[in-house]
Amino acid sequence: MTVRAAEAPRRARTPRLAGVVDYLGFGPAVLLFGLFFLVPLGIIVCYSFWETIDYSVVHHWTLDNYRYFFSVTAYVSTMLATIWVSVAATALAIGLAFPFAYWLSRYVPRRLRTPLLVLVIVPFWSSYLLRVYSWLTILGQKGVINRFLQWAGITHHPLGVLLYDRPAVILVLVYLYFPFGALTLYSSIERFDWNQLRAAMDLGASPLQAIFRILVPQIRPGIITAIIFVFIPILGEYLTPQIVGGTGGVMIGNLIVNFFQAAEYTRGAAVSLLIAAFIVVLLLVFRRSLSSKEAYGA
Amino acid sequence: MSTTGTAPSTLASAAPGIELRGVVKRYGTQVALRGIDLEIRDGEFFCLLGPSGCGKTTTLNLIGGFVPVTEGEIWIRGQRIHRLPPHKRPVNTVFQSYALFPHMNVRENVRFGLKMDRVPRSESTPRVEEALRLVGLEEYGDRMPAQLSGGQQQRVAVARALVKRPAVLLLDEPLGALDLKLRQRLQIELAQIHRDVGTTFVYVTHDQEEAMSMADRIAVMSDGRIEQLGEPEEIYRLPATRFVADFIGDSNFFDATIEGSVAQLSDGSRVPCRGGSGRATVMVRPESIRFRPGEASVPGRVVQTSFLGKHVRVAVATRASEAPVVAALHDTSELPAVGDEVELTWSADDGVVLEPA
Repeated sequence: MTVRAAEAPRRARTPRLAGVVDYLGFGPAVLLFGLFFLVPLGIIVCYSFWETIDYSVVHHWTLDNYRYFFSVTAYVSTMLATIWVSVAATALAIGLAFPFAYWLSRYVPRRLRTPLLVLVIVPFWSSYLLRVYSWLTILGQKGVINRFLQWAGITHHPLGVLLYDRPAVILVLVYLYFPFGALTLYSSIERFDWNQLRAAMDLGASPLQAIFRILVPQIRPGIITAIIFVFIPILGEYLTPQIVGGTGGVMIGNLIVNFFQAAEYTRGAAVSLLIAAFIVVLLLVFRRSLSSKEAYGA
Repeated sequence: MSTTGTAPSTLASAAPGIELRGVVKRYGTQVALRGIDLEIRDGEFFCLLGPSGCGKTTTLNLIGGFVPVTEGEIWIRGQRIHRLPPHKRPVNTVFQSYALFPHMNVRENVRFGLKMDRVPRSESTPRVEEALRLVGLEEYGDRMPAQLSGGQQQRVAVARALVKRPAVLLLDEPLGALDLKLRQRLQIELAQIHRDVGTTFVYVTHDQEEAMSMADRIAVMSDGRIEQLGEPEEIYRLPATRFVADFIGDSNFFDATIEGSVAQLSDGSRVPCRGGSGRATVMVRPESIRFRPGEASVPGRVVQTSFLGKHVRVAVATRASEAPVVAALHDTSELPAVGDEVELTWSADDGVVLEPA
């Protein structure tokens, strides 16, 4: 009793200090987050509103970097192309990942699922660069596909259309990001009660109706997470268009790299922030669907 | 228009509700059903009863269309349906786990089947309300399934299936997940709903009491076969096989040699039975056994008496059977004590003669 009585007034005297002590545990995280995320982001934000004169950044506030980006038609069209390539690649990756996850969790016996999931992850054991480069040996002039076509007598000259354009970029992006979609979707489909699909079909739904009216609405948070996991990194992709995209497959990531390599830091910063702003808007739109309202009515 | 409107209904009453003809189901080399022939009458409350693995759920799934038949045909009201997908059969199912859609409220769950049939809203709304009223959940339309008790969820599942006015309602152990008290109450409710709607109910259960209390007729199944088909009382009083006698209610078995209506047991005592000839098993229900010395009785010694509320169970060791003979006494005035030498007997009608074990 006496101890408590002595403690109570002391706490009352220094509530502010006690509050600080309570949050001390967050210190390292705040430090890390601030140092390696907030500070660099702040620098980029500042850069995007400064000027580059003679290869050096001048602290002179202006909107010129943004204005310049939107004044060059090629840049704007690259940005739009980046968005549609990302949308297409995401749609294809998720479109393939969903049936895969569905098949895995509904029809594959439990003991075979882990080996199959490992197979999906195996590519991650090799370097990202290598995985993109390996597509050159498949799609290139002397690649597997062209050799086969010529061997089979279907074509007489190697086809150039396989590489160095948007379709090649989309194909490789789908290959690279399919595992993210598959793993995310699998983890949300796995717990689904398949009797519900049987019940839906019993009540007159066709198999597709059952999937889209019963399964899909219940795993919506998982689908949106998968879309975000795939779409956002694709939006910032730089290596894939660089290696298999050629001049026709340029994406906004390449543009940013070009700016920075040309020492136009402020313009590069502005383009980076445009992409970041686009993603933030996207996340805000999806925020409601992502909230944990999964436990219906509970 | 009126002639086409009335024709199917007369046809429907002429043909049996459901007919299974030589239905065989194999999973690979494993045989789940070994040739089932079965007629279920229109409007009947029919029970498929048996232990797990006997093929009762397989039979239900074949009627529902969730698994294809290997051989044989299934007819519903004169229409061959065994090749139709589930959503094209005039059949709806109440699943054991209810399988309610958790992202829809009760009303939307019940409406789902009508929506799939493209029933206009002006027609579906009153039908949904009617179905909810039928199961006593008219106040719960806006609730989500997770907000309901197990019994209420079960009733939603029934309403959701019945709102489609199916020719047949399949129920797969629908009360299995509920506690005894609630189960007994819902048994009464389900029987009531069946009387109200007049739909054919095919009910799968492993609980013999549940089957006895609700069904018009019961098919007792074992090892992919129908062991016996009949009304509850008939199956109880005159089981066709030792399996049925054993599965339904308690029973005592004696190896015997039958001459006319007298059975000679292995200890030499001669007791009455329904009649037959040769080697056989005599089955007697515990409540048929009387403690009355006489010429036609089995001697034994009481090894245990247990008070069970509605009756006293007396276990008697005899030389005529390996396990102690169990008798259920309702009249406690003639209650013997442990260790007493007693004589057991029964009337000829209560000694059911079965194939020898």
